Order: sequence, then C-alpha cells, then structure tokens
Amino acid sequence: MKAELSPRAKVMVYGAMCVLLIPFVFPTWWMVTSSFKPVSEIFAFPPRLIPDSWDFTTYGQVFTLQPFAKQYWNSAYIAAIVTVGTMGISSMAGYAFARIRFPFANAIFMVVLLGLLIPSEVTIVPLFQLFLKLGMVNTHWPLILVPIFGAPSVFATFVMRQFFISLPAELEEAARVDGLSRFKIFTKIALPLSRPALASVAIFTFLHSWNLYLEPIVFLSSADKFTLPQALTQFTDAYGGPMWNIQLAAATLTALPVLIVFIIAQKHFVEGLAHTGLKG
Amino acid sequence: MSNHISLKSCVAALAIGLSLTVFGNASAQNAVKLRMTIWSANEAHLKLFNDMAAGFKQTHPNVTVTYESLPFETYTTALTTQIAGGNAPDMAWIFETTAYDFVSSGALYPLGDKLAALKGYNLDEVSSGATERWSKDGKLYAYPFSTSPFAVFANNDLIRKAGAKTPAELIKSGEWTWEKAIETASAVGKTGKGGLIVRDFNYQNWQNLAAIWNGWGASPWSEDGKNCTFGEKPMTDALSFIHDAVFKNKAMPGPGENMDFFAGDAAMTITQISRASLLPKQNGFEWDLVPLPTGPAGEYALIGQAGIGVMQSSAHADIAADFVGYMTNPENSAKLAQFFPSARKSLLNAETLKKTNPLLSQEQLDKVVIAGISTGKVIPGHTGFAQIQQMVRAGLDSIWTPQTDIAAATQKICGQISPLLKR
Amino acid sequence: MARRDSLAGYLFIAPQLIGIIAFVLLPLCLVFWYSLHEWNVLANTFTYTGAQNYRMLLEDSSLPSVLGATALFSFGLVVLNMSLALLLAVLLNQKLRGIAVFRTLFFSPVVVSLVAWTIVWGFLLQKNGGINGMLLTVGIEGPNWLREPVTAMISVIVVQVFKNVGLNMILFLAALQGVPNELYEAARIDGASSFKQFRRIMLPMISPTILLTSIITIVGSLQVFAQIAVLTQGGPGVSTTVLVYYLYQQAFQFHFFGYGSTLSIMLFVIVAVLTFAQWQLRKRMVFYES
Repeated sequence: MKAELSPRAKVMVYGAMCVLLIPFVFPTWWMVTSSFKPVSEIFAFPPRLIPDSWDFTTYGQVFTLQPFAKQYWNSAYIAAIVTVGTMGISSMAGYAFARIRFPFANAIFMVVLLGLLIPSEVTIVPLFQLFLKLGMVNTHWPLILVPIFGAPSVFATFVMRQFFISLPAELEEAARVDGLSRFKIFTKIALPLSRPALASVAIFTFLHSWNLYLEPIVFLSSADKFTLPQALTQFTDAYGGPMWNIQLAAATLTALPVLIVFIIAQKHFVEGLAHTGLKG
Repeated sequence: MSNHISLKSCVAALAIGLSLTVFGNASAQNAVKLRMTIWSANEAHLKLFNDMAAGFKQTHPNVTVTYESLPFETYTTALTTQIAGGNAPDMAWIFETTAYDFVSSGALYPLGDKLAALKGYNLDEVSSGATERWSKDGKLYAYPFSTSPFAVFANNDLIRKAGAKTPAELIKSGEWTWEKAIETASAVGKTGKGGLIVRDFNYQNWQNLAAIWNGWGASPWSEDGKNCTFGEKPMTDALSFIHDAVFKNKAMPGPGENMDFFAGDAAMTITQISRASLLPKQNGFEWDLVPLPTGPAGEYALIGQAGIGVMQSSAHADIAADFVGYMTNPENSAKLAQFFPSARKSLLNAETLKKTNPLLSQEQLDKVVIAGISTGKVIPGHTGFAQIQQMVRAGLDSIWTPQTDIAAATQKICGQISPLLKR
Repeated sequence: MARRDSLAGYLFIAPQLIGIIAFVLLPLCLVFWYSLHEWNVLANTFTYTGAQNYRMLLEDSSLPSVLGATALFSFGLVVLNMSLALLLAVLLNQKLRGIAVFRTLFFSPVVVSLVAWTIVWGFLLQKNGGINGMLLTVGIEGPNWLREPVTAMISVIVVQVFKNVGLNMILFLAALQGVPNELYEAARIDGASSFKQFRRIMLPMISPTILLTSIITIVGSLQVFAQIAVLTQGGPGVSTTVLVYYLYQQAFQFHFFGYGSTLSIMLFVIVAVLTFAQWQLRKRMVFYES
C-alpha cells in the first residue's frame, strides 16, 4: 500500500477524501461564517455559505457580555495544569504497572481500569458532596484534581503502560547493574524515551479538559470562574433565549486556538501515536 | 489562588472575632452572607439586583447578598444538584411550572406572614390569582415577582405584503378570533415566511400551547390536578385546530423549522410582553402588540410567572425573608417591573407601566398588560412536573406528523400520566 | 532488591491509586448506598428502602425501550465509527501530496468544543436547515431529521461519529504506519490483490488496535449524553432516550436520586460486562500480540 499510486488511483483517492470531508468541515465553516451573520441570516433557508452582510460586532459583544477573557484564561490554565499533572501521575503509574513486579500489581491495575468504565454522570453527586465538605465548590480544584488523579487519567495511564511494555528491557538492565535506583531509572532513562507517548497523552488530556462540560456546570457558579464550554451556553438574552450569532462567535474563539495548535503540532502528534505501541 | 482567598477569609473572620470581643455586640455584628440563585445573566438585571443588595445593606450593614446566575435551560437541575449536594442557596428563583414541587415539598420557608407584617409592604394588593400557585394551605411560600401576560406580536409589513388583514384591522371589525388569526398567518405562511410562532414551544415545551388551547377552554388536567383531561373534547378540538394550522394551512412553522419573529421572519408570535425588548432597533418592521384572539370558549388570557422563595435550609432564613421583602416592596417592585411585570394593583395602571415599557402604547398597556395580568390563568404546572412534561412531550410527538390520530394519542397520554397525577 | 522494588512500585502507583479510591471507588460505593434509598431532594428526606429501587427496574415500563435505544445507538455508533475510521486511515496512509492537510481536516472536529459542534449540527439538521438545503440543490427533499424516530437515531449517531472518528482514525493510521513495508511487498510479489492485502495483512496486523479502539468506543458510546440533550432531548417519543440520558432525567430532572443511582449501577454493570466480554474475545480475535 505504501507504493506510489497510479495517477488514476490518485484522483480517486483525492475525490473520495474531498467528498468525505464535507461533513467534517462544513459545520465548522458554518460556525465560523455564521458568527458574522445577523441572527436573521442564520435562519435563512437555504443556508448561506458566506454572509450577505458582515457583522463584526458579535466578537466585541462576546467580551462585554461575559468576562470571556477571564474564562479563556480559566480554561487555559486548568487544562495546562491538568495536562502536566496527568503526564506526571500517569507516566509513573504506567511505568510501575509495566516494568516493576510487585504483589497484586495486576489486581490493582484492574481496579484502576474501573475508572475507564464509569460515566461521570454516575459519580457527580457524591463528588459534589465530597468537594463541598472540602470547601472546594465554586473553585477550580475539582476540575483539576479529579482529572489528574481520578477516572480521566486512567486512559493516560493505560497508554503509558502500553508504551513502557513495548520498551526493550535491555535499556534498563545496564542502569540497574550500575546500581541506579528505580526513580533514577524512570526519570533518566524511561521518561526521556517516552516522549512520543507523553505527547499523545498531553493532547488527549488537554482536549478532554478543554471540552469538559458537565463538571464545570455542577461545580462552578460564578461567571468569572466559568470555563469556556460552560460560558458558551451563557450568551443569552434577558429571558434565556440564546443569542445565536454571539454564541457562535464565542464557539469559534473557543475552537480556533486549539485547531491552530493542532495544525502546527499534528505531525508530532500522529508520529507520537505511531510510536506508542497502542496495540492492546 | 484559592489558598489566597481562604487565607483572606480567615483573616476577615479573625478580624470579626476580634471586633466581637472588643465591642461585645455579637448579634448586630454577625456577618451574614446570603446567596440567591437566578436564571438571568443579563447585565441590566444584575445591576438592578446589586443596587437592591446595596440598598438593603444600608439598613442591615452586616448582610451581604450575592447572586448566582445559573444557565436558564438547566436552571432547576443545577439548583436541585446544589440542594442534593448540601449546598442550597438561601434564596432561589422558581419557575411557575415547578412551583408546586417546591411549595409542596416543604423546601421553602413560609414567607407570607413575614411579608404581610412588613411596614408599607401591602401584600394584600397582590391578587390571589397571582399568589395561588405559590401558596399552600393559605400560606405563601414564594413571592411571584414576575407576572407576565402572553400576547400576540404582529409584523404588519409582512401581513400587508401577503394581502391579509392585520390583527388591528380584525380587532376593529370585531373579528379577532383564532379562525381569522390563522387565516392571516396562513396567508403569510404561504409566501414562504413564517405564519404564527408560539415562541419557546419548539414542539417540546407544550405547556406554552395553553396560549392557544385555553381559548377552547381546554386544559391538560382537572382543576385539582388529579385527573387527566387531555382526552376531552375541548383539548382534542384545540389540538386538531393546531394540527390543521401547522400541516394543512401552513399557518405555523412545523416541527424542525426554525424561524424567528423578531428577526422579521414571521407574521405573528405569541410570547410574553417583556420580549418587546427583542424587537429590532434598526431596520425594523412595523409591529403591533395585541391580546390573544378569542377562541370558541370566548376571551381569555394567559400569564407566565416566576417566584422568589427562601430555602427552609438556610441558616438565615428570616433575614433572607427580610431581603425578599425589601426586594419586592412597592418601591422596588416598580423598579423590577421594567423587566418583570408586577402583580401589584398599585403598579397596574397605564401611567406607571408606561414609564417602564416605553415601547408600548397606552392602548396596548390597557388591553394586553393590565387586562392580562388581572384576568389571566397561569400556564399549566403540577407536582412532579418535569416527569409529566417529558411524558406528555413524548406522547404529543406522535401528533406532530401530517397523518395522525389525535384521539388515540391523547388517550395514550392520559393512560401514561394518570398514575403520576394521582400521586 | 525485590522488596525495594515492590516499595518503589507502590510509591509509583500511589497517587493514581489514591485518586481512584477517592474519586471513583468511594463515589461508586456512595452511589450504591443511595440506590438503596428513596431520596427526595426537595423535601430533604432520605429513607432506606432496601431493594425497592431494584424491583422498580423490573417494573419500569420505559426501561425496555430505553435499553433497546441504547443498544441500537451503541451498535450503530461502533460499527459506523470503526469502519469510517478504518476507511479514512487507509486513505490517509497513502503517499500523496497534501495528505497532511486532509489528515488535519478530518481530525479537526475532535478539537471543536462538543457543545458548539452539537449546537451547529442542531441547526443543520432542522427541516429547513443546512443539510436539507444542500440536498435540495441536487433535487432531493430531505426528511425532518430530528423529528422522525429512525432519522433522529441516525442523526445522533452520525453527529457523534463525525465529532470523534478522528481519534480512532489517528490510532488506526498510527497502527497502519507501524506495519512493516516488507509484508506488503512480499504479498505484491505473490500477486495478492489490494483487497487481499488489506484482509490478509493489514487487518490482522492492526487487530490489537481494533480491539482497543472498539472497547474505548463502546464504553464511550454508553456515556454519550450532551449530544442527545441538545439534539433530540430523547425524542421523538422516547426513540433516542439512551440509558445515560434516562438516568440523567430520573436523577437530575425528576429528582429521583435513589432510582437514578440504581440506573447508574445498572449502567456500570453493563459497561463492565461488555468490556470483560471483549477482553475475553481478544484471545480468539486478535491475531498478533506485541
């Protein structure tokens, strides 16, 4: 399959991909262009690919109706902490499950895997009570602590474990003979080698945190603490009716930076995943 | 960040503790923090509320009131999640549809006596029709701060263009009936624009259809709420009428058809008068506001309400009740009325209303607002409304198709909700 | 050495394990505890009722259709997601100019906020929305997507697939790129057709990835909630009311936290059983273990 395709086959592949692209690209296109439309045009039928009249005021309103810059910062710094924290926790746990033999390792791994199986709707009420007791409701702590230590990081641990399993054991043997401690082996040898796996963990984790919706709604209540997905639903008129064009402008602002980062980093991302040995 | 805050509050608590020991005046100095959950995130609303909190602080220097805006769509859900988690607010806005749940559960602090005893509050001027939904056994549990009548907004430009009669013309000739209203809507609907939109209905919030079926004298359940009346003739007649309007006459946008009256896409819309603020400020159209048309059962009016209740679980329920009393006293009610029409009789005159509703004419205020608030029925509600709402919605879905058997569908709905109504 | 190693092992996993105990196991136990109670949030009553909520599961007349919708949704989602992901991965695994652009575009919905994505599709799927507008230009009058049971189910599945298929696509692509080139060359020399190469070499080689992604996708499909809340609210009728949405309704909208917790436990058991079954199947299905 890796061989050069015939020109005819090339045209067919390009054609197939272009058709398949429509449902992937059109909604985003529509979101971006509609954010410049007056409300009446958003509802126009048939829908317009390019606004008839451009309304740039929506983007200004995004920032006046909500503390959007603050909310942007909230989402960004929470996602950054969660990403770094998860990388640390999950690479350590993943390494231990893959490379260190200790009693009950498999049983504990199974328990940890439970985290993958539980929808967040299931545990949200007890978690709310827990954080209330800790005085952390309407702070960002639940949105930081639960993803780093709780269920969402389990997938990351799993990815890291799969990666470390595939790492040749000889690399470590020499270090062990030299009398390096486990921690040193981990930080000096294993971790630097795991960069590609860490990269994919970072991207998965960042996206998960960036898109988190249910938890912020439950845990946060003041507008200056909101995160972006939650803020999106807050662009309403005085009676709860959504202000569509402003919502779409805010949605565009939410999506674009991540999209740009992905475009820049995507080569590393795909290659990173290719090296994770994510093979079951 | 958060460490910072808790450190600050520790210092603050310490300072208060010190001042207590120094001055020995415990009760007056106890700092009280009150939180009210609301579903508006509107800047102008919040400014008004914060002004009221500041006003209250002048007489109660130790009381700080904050407002928490929860998303409108998931408001009740978010509120009950807070309550379930043991983090109930001190005060909460309550929708008219879920009022029965809150009032009957014992979650609310009985406000009535407290309000009645406030000097100059004059609770009696609020009609019993307006407080009915918020009371149990003669006790008022939440104050209906917003009593907003439903009315018809019309886009006269569109209607004339379609060569139909405007509502004003129909009213003049004494023909403002549902029959004629739908004729007008249909004429516009056939031009490709929208006819009549029941705003916020969207084939989900069926309770808003009461704005139509009340004209047939129909209701989803009996007065006492125990028996399902979906299958009875007034209701099936009204539903057939609506069904024809949608699928035969093109007079109402069908399910899944998005149109916005205020963007100039439709001839008429039924909504609460407070939505006048959504009328376009530039490139607008000639609009009119008229009462609901008469149905086979004669004239009628419909109102939507919102209440403020004090949570029984609040540590400072009595102070919170004082605040509700302050926020809704005659003077502040007049201020609230620019967004939330008041049910106080002293405010129900065209002169006062004109100040807060500059867009509306004297005649519109008389006919729509004053008449509506004083005679209107509140949109349907029930204990356990969320579940009943959802079941009825699922049942009505089978009606919103071109071919349908309305009698069978309504029978089925009754079969499903009857056990819930009796509970 | 072994003892020191054990200690190191425990220290390494301690943060994760403590987190799982505090944020997963403990809450799960509490949910089980709630499921043995009738909990009226508003009235603030919490009464022990034993197995009554579990008996209610058997008597709940809506539950069969909810489970049916859940099965349909998950099955449709997994089949469509996996096959589309595989197709895209094979297409993207070609040496072509500009392939990275395509890769980026196919992946782009993954980074768009779920709420925004769903709201946009909600617009596009209206009767007078974008999809039908496009169909009209080629002379087809589209259905009322979200208002008819069959098309509504298709819609929620498809919207979810387009949102997230990029993840599986990348995982497959990564796996495909890990397949040694020599294998294809050998097959070509033997005169195997493209399809044969695909079936005999590619599929077996990436079967571990297929297994893993299918587990993640099935588990994920049972947790889909916001999309349904925004697009159909479980309707028309109850045709798209899947278990997690039903659970949300019972607990958060109807305030039956006790029964909602019971449904949570049921959902958890279903997910656990399915995952276990797939894990067992792997012994038979997966051709190649690294």
